[in-house]
Order: sequence, then structure tokens, then C-alpha cells
Amino acid sequence: MDDETVISVENVSKKYCKSLKKSMYYGAMDIGRNMLGLTSKPGRLRKGEFWALNDISFEVKRGETLGIIGPNGAGKTTLLKMLNGIFWPDRGKITVRGRVGALIELGAGFHPLLTGRENIYINGAILGMTKKEVDEKFDDIVKFAEIGDFIDSPVKHYSSGMYVRLGFAIAAHSQADILLIDEVLAVGDVGFQNKCFNKIGELKREGITTLLVSHNMHTISTFVEKIVLLNCARAISFDNVTDGIKEYAQLFTHKDDSEIERISSGNDSTKFYEVEIRKRIFKPGDSFTIVLKYRSELDYEDVDVDIAVFGAHEPVLYFQATNKAYGRKIDLPKGNHSLKMEIIDIRLNSAMVRIAIAIWSKRREVLLFWWRIPIKFEGVDYSTGRNFLNVTYELNE
Amino acid sequence: MIQGLQQRKDSLSMQEIVTTYEPDNSLKKGYLSIFNQIFVELKQNRWLTYQLFKRDFLSSYKQSFLGVLWAMILPLVSIGIFIVLNRSGILNIGDIGAPYSIYALLGMAFWQFFSTGLVGCSNSLVNAGPMILKINVSKKSLVIAAAGKAIVPFIIQIIMVGVLFVGYGRAPSILGLLVPVFIIPLILFTIGLGFFTSLLNGVMRDIGNIISILLTFMLFFTPVLYGKPKMGILVTLTKYNALYYLVSTPRDLVLNGAIPEWKGFLIVCLLSVFLFIGCLFAFHLTETRVAERI
Repeated sequence: MDDETVISVENVSKKYCKSLKKSMYYGAMDIGRNMLGLTSKPGRLRKGEFWALNDISFEVKRGETLGIIGPNGAGKTTLLKMLNGIFWPDRGKITVRGRVGALIELGAGFHPLLTGRENIYINGAILGMTKKEVDEKFDDIVKFAEIGDFIDSPVKHYSSGMYVRLGFAIAAHSQADILLIDEVLAVGDVGFQNKCFNKIGELKREGITTLLVSHNMHTISTFVEKIVLLNCARAISFDNVTDGIKEYAQLFTHKDDSEIERISSGNDSTKFYEVEIRKRIFKPGDSFTIVLKYRSELDYEDVDVDIAVFGAHEPVLYFQATNKAYGRKIDLPKGNHSLKMEIIDIRLNSAMVRIAIAIWSKRREVLLFWWRIPIKFEGVDYSTGRNFLNVTYELNE
Repeated sequence: MIQGLQQRKDSLSMQEIVTTYEPDNSLKKGYLSIFNQIFVELKQNRWLTYQLFKRDFLSSYKQSFLGVLWAMILPLVSIGIFIVLNRSGILNIGDIGAPYSIYALLGMAFWQFFSTGLVGCSNSLVNAGPMILKINVSKKSLVIAAAGKAIVPFIIQIIMVGVLFVGYGRAPSILGLLVPVFIIPLILFTIGLGFFTSLLNGVMRDIGNIISILLTFMLFFTPVLYGKPKMGILVTLTKYNALYYLVSTPRDLVLNGAIPEWKGFLIVCLLSVFLFIGCLFAFHLTETRVAERI
């Protein structure tokens, strides 16, 4: 490990146990063995155990900002906890140079009955500050946290905003050489987040190394220089942030759910016998076209055609409207006909969505058709966010 | 900006500590270095330990009307029960050579120093569980600070004893001033045991319950509220009861200015020192295991 490498993670693995009772038993066994000076053979799995992180390696240099991303349960928090020494690896080796400040939860260690002033001293001590350091930084902390007169009130009377502001203020002034930040900045309001990122920027200029865990790809792409992507207990490093984010988005589209859900294609008297969908992979700005061919023995006047676009893996509704939103009255006469629908110029970015189409008879008495069609929007380089808007640039003299 | 960077670098190179985490870390480094590690950690975290103690102290009396006075209530109730039992002839307190209330309250002060401290230590890691999972904080400091919970009630009880001496028009022995020295073995015994039980309690919550029950039993099997038994099974039990020596020696010192059982006390002193070192050592080797089980 050279002088500029502040964090080095070499082939690190961590195991967990699924059952609480087993975990208790194994824990007692391991403690017993360690007390007797025997190794607890951490490198092998016992019954009911699994690798939460498996053979992870990466390095962080001084002053760098590393983003750690990955789906839920990929081991991001476990990794941060190991870097902070809360958990120890079961295999491999972690070397950390300098004092680590962890923001895994803001205000962890606050006692609700104690005042802000008392908690600043206690929390400062918990974060590894000396009395002198807290004395020196006290005014800065209070000023940054904007808690004013509340400094002498018990923190349980604080608003949640004040609570996290104080928590962040102490951690940010704790003179750490390495900051581990776990999604904590998502809690405050926008003004606070802005302030936090400015503070982190300031610390970065002073040479602090930052590790940021976030699900927010905008935060990641704005602040980090390198990425470690965790998935299924394994890690991949990216020196290019865009590549890492693309790979992350890929994780969610690889899942086997490109099946169209044909929930209803008609009833005894009406049948939608053919559905034509031209393409299923789109770039922002493309149009989605669907042609429904049907055979019906009955006349349906003034039907409702519902179209909704929602996230395939997350509860986001991008769009919903019926034909009435466009002032269109649609009748489906009996016989063989086809209904063509087109959603023009969809501007989604790196998204896996489902387009739901449902057709109801008048007053929604009979459901005639209901399909959910997954489609995929490819990502655009240098762009994050769910939408890709049409932006023009014009430089004038 | 560049100046800021330079400053930071300077301060980094001065105090930069390299930490490694790998399985069975302590074992690889060898046993002798462990003592050094423990010593350095305890020394570095003195202020933290004090802050944690302050946190416990301030918080436990803040939202309570009687506050610190609660420390007086339990011993007074226990002593009251013994007085009633004695007066009605059910229980023979025995020959104690001092007013019973002084004898009992003084005994209870030392006993409670042990029991409050042990319960505090045992629960320290579990109570701090959410924090232990989020911040790497010295767990030794947590345990030691929790033992500090016993200090304030102890001082209050000693003051009560002083009041009683005045009330009875008696004077304690001048050698009573040596009590702070003579309770060191009791402190080591309490914290040593506390290191051990806090770990076990972290893994198995049963330990906390078992300790409360055991302490109640032990109070009745140890001559704290009654004189040293002269016959029956209790004679043997008392002879091998380390707590008896730890409690009665400082008490005898205050009441009579003498240590009648100095041999037993000396053995128990050695035992306490070994218990403390052994448990601290075991705690150091295993504390990282506990965070993930809590």
C-alpha cells in the first residue's frame, strides 16, 4: 500500500447467518474459541450461513470520492461498516489510513433527554474527537446546524430536520480523514442537502477522502469520481462513473420479466385476435405504436381506452390518461376492425417500464381488453434521471 | 485553498494511524501486544468514557421528580424489611457490634456498588446496540462507563451513613478514610465480571435475566444485612464467598477500624485482579464478534 492509498480492501468476505438462534449459537462458539486463543475458522461457511460480501477488492486514493452503488441487499452498508471497523471481515484484509468518520445514521448516539449542547460533546467524543477539538469546533457546529436557541433544549424536542442537521454538523466537523456517508443526506430538505454537499466539497478541497453510498444516481454522478458496484455479494470497480451507472441500470433490466401480461383479450362475443407491437426497445423521442385487431358480435359505443406507463420495478407512474383526456370519443362497431394507437415522442431515460392498455365498454361495465407490455428505454450517455428532455443550446454574440 | 490542502496534509502526516482489520487480528499479532493495545485504547478513550458516564448519569435522573433520591429508596426498603423481620423474631441478625441501621446501610452501600455496577455493565452493550451498529465506538469505554452508574448512589448512601453516625452520636473509625483504597478490589471484581457478562448478554439476552435473579439470591446468601453466620450451611458458603470479603472488609474498617479476616481479603484481592485482567483480555479478543450479534 503506497502513501497515497488511504483505503485498501483485499479479497474481503463477510458472512451472515439467516437464523437468529443459530447466529446466537455460532456467536457463542466463536467467542469461546477466541477467548481460548483459538481461531474461529472464519473462512468457512457453517450450516445456515451465507456470504453477504464475497471476495471484494478495491483501493481508494487520498482525496478521491468513491460511490458505492448496488441494489438493496447487495451489501453496501455491510461494506461501510467493515471499513469503519464495526464488523470485521471473515476473510481478507482491510487497511485504512487515518481517522474514519462514519455517517451511517445521522445523530446515532444522541440521547433524547439531553440538550443539544450536551449531545454535541458526547457525540463528538463518540466520533473520536478530543475535548479540545470539540471546544474549538463548538460554535461552528452550532452555526452550521442552525439550531439557535434550541441548543439548550433536549434533542427530543427538536424537529427531525434539526436533529439530522446537528448530527451532520458534528460529523462534518469531526476532523476525519475519511468520511463514510450512507444515504443519510436523503433525509433533510433541499436547503440542508445543498449545504451538506457544499460542506463535503469544502472538506474534499482540504484533502478528505469520501465514500458515498446512494441509490440516487444523480447524487452519484454529480459527486463521485469512481464507482464500486455491488451485486449478489460481488463487486465490480469502475473508473468511469457513466459506465458504472449504466451497469447498475442494466441490473434491473436483466431480470426475466420481458413477458407481456395478457390479462384479458376479450370475452365470448368480442375477441382481440391480433395485437401488433412494432418494437420494444426505445431511445428517448421514439414513438410507441400498437394495433389491436378485433372481431366483435356487438356494437360498443363510447368506450374508455386507458393508457398508463409505469415503472417495471418501482412504483412510479409516468403517465396515465384515457381517450377522454384528448377529447376523443371512440366507438368499436361490430365486425372485423382494428384500432391503432400511438404514443408519440416518449422521452424516458434508462428506464424499464410497462405500458398498460385497457379497454372498457361505456360506464366501465365490461372489461374488453387489458394487457401490460414491458418496454425498455436505453440510457443516454451523460444523462441521469428518469426523463430525457429535449434541450437546445444557443450561444449568442 | 491550496494552503488548506497543505495544512490538512501536514496534520495527516503527523497523526496518521494505519488500521488493519482482518480475521483473528489479535491472534496474529501475538498475545503480548494485546496488553499494549488494551492499555493504549483505554488511555485514548478516557474522555469518551467520561462523556459516556456523564450521558448515563444526566439521562437517568433528568425526567424524574425524585431524581438521585431513588438511590436511597431501595436500600431503605431492604433494610426496613430486615428490621421488621428481626423485631418480630423471625430472623436473627446476630452479633454485629454496631447499630443495625448503620451496619446494614453501610453493607448495602458496598453491595449495591457491586450489583448496580454489574447490572449496568451487563446491559451496556445491549443498550448501546443501535449505536454500536452505526459508529465504531470503544466498547470497553461503554462497559466501564456503565459501571460508573454505581458511583452516585454509593456516594449518597455513604452520606446517609454519615447522617446516621451523627444521629446515634457515634464516630466512625479514622481508618474509614481508607475506604476508597479498600474498594478497589470490589471495583475490579465488578468491572471484570461486567466485561464478561456484557459480552454474553450481547449474544444471549438470557444472561441479563439470570444476573438479576442471581443478584437477589446472592444478597440473601451474603452477610450484608445480617452478621456473619456462626452455624449451618451459611458458614461454609460465607467462607468461600468472595463478595463477603469485598463487602465486609471496608465495612469493618469504617465500624471498627480493623480487618479481622485480612487473609481471606488478600486472597480475594488477588482473585479480583486476575478476574479483571482475564476478563478484559477475553473481552478484547471477542468484542468485535459482538457487534454483529447484537
